[in-house]
Amino acid sequence: MSDAELLSLAGEDVGHGSQVVLPRLSLTLRTGERIALLGQSGAGKSTLLATLRRRLDTDAAWCPQSHGLVPQLAVYHNVYMGRLERHSALANLWNLIRPDRRAWTEIETLCGELGLAGLLRRPVARLSGGQRQRVAIARALYQQRRLFLGDEPVASVDPHQALRLLALIDARHDTSVVALHQRELALSHFDRVWGLRDGRLVLDATTDTLTLDDLDRLYPDADAASSASADETAHG
Amino acid sequence: MAEPTAPGMLHGDSPGLRLARRSLVLVALCIVLLPFADLSVVAHDPWAELSRMATGLALPHWRELSSPLQAIGLTVSVALWGTLLGVLLGFPLALVFFRSRLVRTACAFVRAIHELFWALLFLQVFGFSAVTALAALAVPYAGIFAKVYAEILEQTPRDAADSLPPGVGRLSRFIYAELPLAWERLAAYTRYRFECSLRASVLLGFVGLPTLGFHLESAFREGHYHQAGALLWLFYLLIGTIGFWGHRRLLPLLTLGSLFLLGPWPHVDSGLLWRFVSHDLWPAPLLDGDWAGLMAWLGNIPDLGPAIGNTLLLGLMGTVGALIIALLLWPLASRHFGNPATRLGGRALLVGLRSTPELMLAFIFLLLLGPSMLPAWLALALHNGALIAFLAARHADNIEPGMPGLPAGGRYAYELLPRIYPGLLALVFYRAEVIIRETALLGMLGVATLGFHIDSSFQYLMFDQAFFLLLVTAGLNIAVDALARRYRPREVVMDDPCSR
Amino acid sequence: MRRLIATTLMLLGLAPVAQTQAQDTFRFTAIPDEDQTRLVERFQKVADYLADTLDVDVEYVPVKSYSAAVSAFRNDQVQLAWFGGLSGVQARRLVPGSQALAQGVEDAAFHSYFIANADTGIAADQDQLPESLEGHSFTFGAKTSTSGRLMPEYYLRERFGEAPESLFSRVGFSGDHTRTIALVESGTYDVGAVNYSVWNAAVEAGRVDTDKVHVVWETPAYPDYQWTIRGDVDEHFGDGFTDRVRQALLGMTDPDLLESFPRQGFIPVSNDAYAPIETVGEDLGLLR
Repeated sequence: MSDAELLSLAGEDVGHGSQVVLPRLSLTLRTGERIALLGQSGAGKSTLLATLRRRLDTDAAWCPQSHGLVPQLAVYHNVYMGRLERHSALANLWNLIRPDRRAWTEIETLCGELGLAGLLRRPVARLSGGQRQRVAIARALYQQRRLFLGDEPVASVDPHQALRLLALIDARHDTSVVALHQRELALSHFDRVWGLRDGRLVLDATTDTLTLDDLDRLYPDADAASSASADETAHG
Repeated sequence: MAEPTAPGMLHGDSPGLRLARRSLVLVALCIVLLPFADLSVVAHDPWAELSRMATGLALPHWRELSSPLQAIGLTVSVALWGTLLGVLLGFPLALVFFRSRLVRTACAFVRAIHELFWALLFLQVFGFSAVTALAALAVPYAGIFAKVYAEILEQTPRDAADSLPPGVGRLSRFIYAELPLAWERLAAYTRYRFECSLRASVLLGFVGLPTLGFHLESAFREGHYHQAGALLWLFYLLIGTIGFWGHRRLLPLLTLGSLFLLGPWPHVDSGLLWRFVSHDLWPAPLLDGDWAGLMAWLGNIPDLGPAIGNTLLLGLMGTVGALIIALLLWPLASRHFGNPATRLGGRALLVGLRSTPELMLAFIFLLLLGPSMLPAWLALALHNGALIAFLAARHADNIEPGMPGLPAGGRYAYELLPRIYPGLLALVFYRAEVIIRETALLGMLGVATLGFHIDSSFQYLMFDQAFFLLLVTAGLNIAVDALARRYRPREVVMDDPCSR
Repeated sequence: MRRLIATTLMLLGLAPVAQTQAQDTFRFTAIPDEDQTRLVERFQKVADYLADTLDVDVEYVPVKSYSAAVSAFRNDQVQLAWFGGLSGVQARRLVPGSQALAQGVEDAAFHSYFIANADTGIAADQDQLPESLEGHSFTFGAKTSTSGRLMPEYYLRERFGEAPESLFSRVGFSGDHTRTIALVESGTYDVGAVNYSVWNAAVEAGRVDTDKVHVVWETPAYPDYQWTIRGDVDEHFGDGFTDRVRQALLGMTDPDLLESFPRQGFIPVSNDAYAPIETVGEDLGLLR
């Protein structure tokens, strides 16, 4: 079971529409793997994640880099959106006016674990950056899928919190692919690293065979500048 | 030895230069065509009448007003319900706007005809009733709302909708991931349109619906300037205090309450309605299939060529005039210039200019300058220029100058104008459609635009001719709008929906 | 949202209620050519007089223009109207069976004045339209006014044999007699045509500076204002209603009431009296 192939690409052109970003890409994703996706910004991480998301369809919970939150709506409603497709449109409409009791209890518990207790009624517009990040993760967790796809889901929280959030994600999904820019975290917390550079998968190895220096090679700027500045570009 | 020269300032391909060239072409076109416009100044003794007007405005006779509260009540009720019905009709259309050419064309058509002309049409069937007033606002507004709402919804960030799990229904996606994101801008635009509808509601009085404009027009036309002054002040007050009485929380209550002020409700004769729609609006020879007769009918239509020419010319002049007036006036209301007193004065001037009905401005200029296209031009330019200046000042107030110490001239030319100009020009291009629509209105003043002939046809009860001319006007408006859309600055993100 | 639906339903529900009320009331309108201030209050007295005499509910409906009055008459929103000469003809053509009931004492022989700004040098009170009008700017009143447009244009064409547009340097429509006087007085237009009764009233009230503007020529007499009633009122208000209305109008002698029109009294008239107006209207292309 743990070796079952979830998805496999063999020399496929990956991109959006007719524009190819990652030509002739080959990789395999197996059940139970925790994969860190590294690479400079613009290397094709988001494109790869979007492709995985499309292929895995309802198997994957998705946590986008931009969070995809609706600032005008309360934390509760933003998390609820993770299961929007499981209710009728009418029920969804009514839920905007009067929260569904069961959903409310579930989301209250979930938010408690993420340090968002007591914020359920607050509009997302009035949250801090770190809090929004956690709402986005809460929404992905609320989807209850076996697989987690995250585009920089721990980019704007401190390292301790990042560890806790990753632990939560691990506890609720058997497989995950997470784009990151913290190289240390990639080595300490994941089974395997996919490294992208200039539209190619240049690194596909288990973390026990890798060092920080190996990862540095994914970032062209790392030769000239400090790794901190590379982190910053990834940030922007 | 050649002198080193600076490169020509208008060469190059930056967006700013493109805009500058476009503006200059527009101004040049206007100047070239100016000799074709009828612009003589003939009046020689306007001062007696003007001083009577000024005293009237300075010393309004409040006591002489008959039932002003009722007129105000009706004005506000018609504006509220006209807008509301426009929203109810326009919103569903906005959802299919970009998917249906039919809807787009229909919306462009109803938009292209001025509220007053809609009122004249509905008047024939529903008489002087609330239905005429509401329909005259709701029908064109439905077209406007459909277009603007559709544009706002289209510009909604996609992130939230994209991050939804697969399989979410269209309606659920709309109410969770699209509508809340667009809500603020939709509400802001609706609010702005309500202010427009308040002015339109007053204007409806000019054709005889008993809103504030009914009394204002009578008093003004017959030279009872003390009464006209009182009514005009009342109107400014109504517009100026909209922030207080039109509060978000108060509006639902106001809307409900105003329902009882609306009236009278007409007794609609369905036979008459059918006759009007099926018979009166169409040329008799066309209905009889008499082609030679139709040619004769077309021959009786007043000169279309000059009327279209005058309409377009006045529209162009009005647009360029509005651009120049806006460039001159916006600093008056901006926080970057003058002191609190001048800014208050500047704001009052702009509000006054944009609230005063164009017909009235035009009549004052008619007395001053005599009959020609000039009064209509000035009225259009001042009214629309002031409106654009007001929005431009608001835009400029959000800008922090990079070099705070510059003198006023430098601040205007180097810091602020380059930043607000694209938006300002885009506004001017947006207004071009409105200005063309208003030229039709000023035709009532005697300038032989299409509007002049439409007004005549209605007066002579030749509805087929009026309807034909309305179709021509609508076609012209749609063409001008398409042209303006093509040349308006694309680089600008119209973040302020009220600018449309 | 629920509130909105509820109110919309109410709105739809109100319409029929209002409709049923519309039947029993006899409505009339009038557009006096001067002083439209406090119209509703002044004509309320006329409505009260008619209500007392006819023993039905009577309501005055204010309108703004000749064409609006005709529309209201045609739509049966008013059953009786005080029309100008041309608008009366328009209305009777649109509503078959309607008839002219009574005209003002003055209306049997109505006149228009041609007035000129003093600076034009055109002499006052001439026997015929002076040649020197040619080339000046000229303003009519409202487009369908009998005394401010139709008859002046007729006499201009009769005298000069050409359209006003080719006779004058510029032709405008002031929209109103009072405004015609103001525009000619200020010199905005050189010459204008105006209802004689409005002119006389304005001169009497001292609202005109006769040093600046004077009457150049008075037209021959023609029939003008009249009361016109719909043909179907007898069906709705009882047999003989038309005659009772005529009697009520002819019996209106209170100066306070007559002042609103303003007329000295009313005399009987028939549709035929307006045949000349109809002919002129057709000739000028204002009727078809």
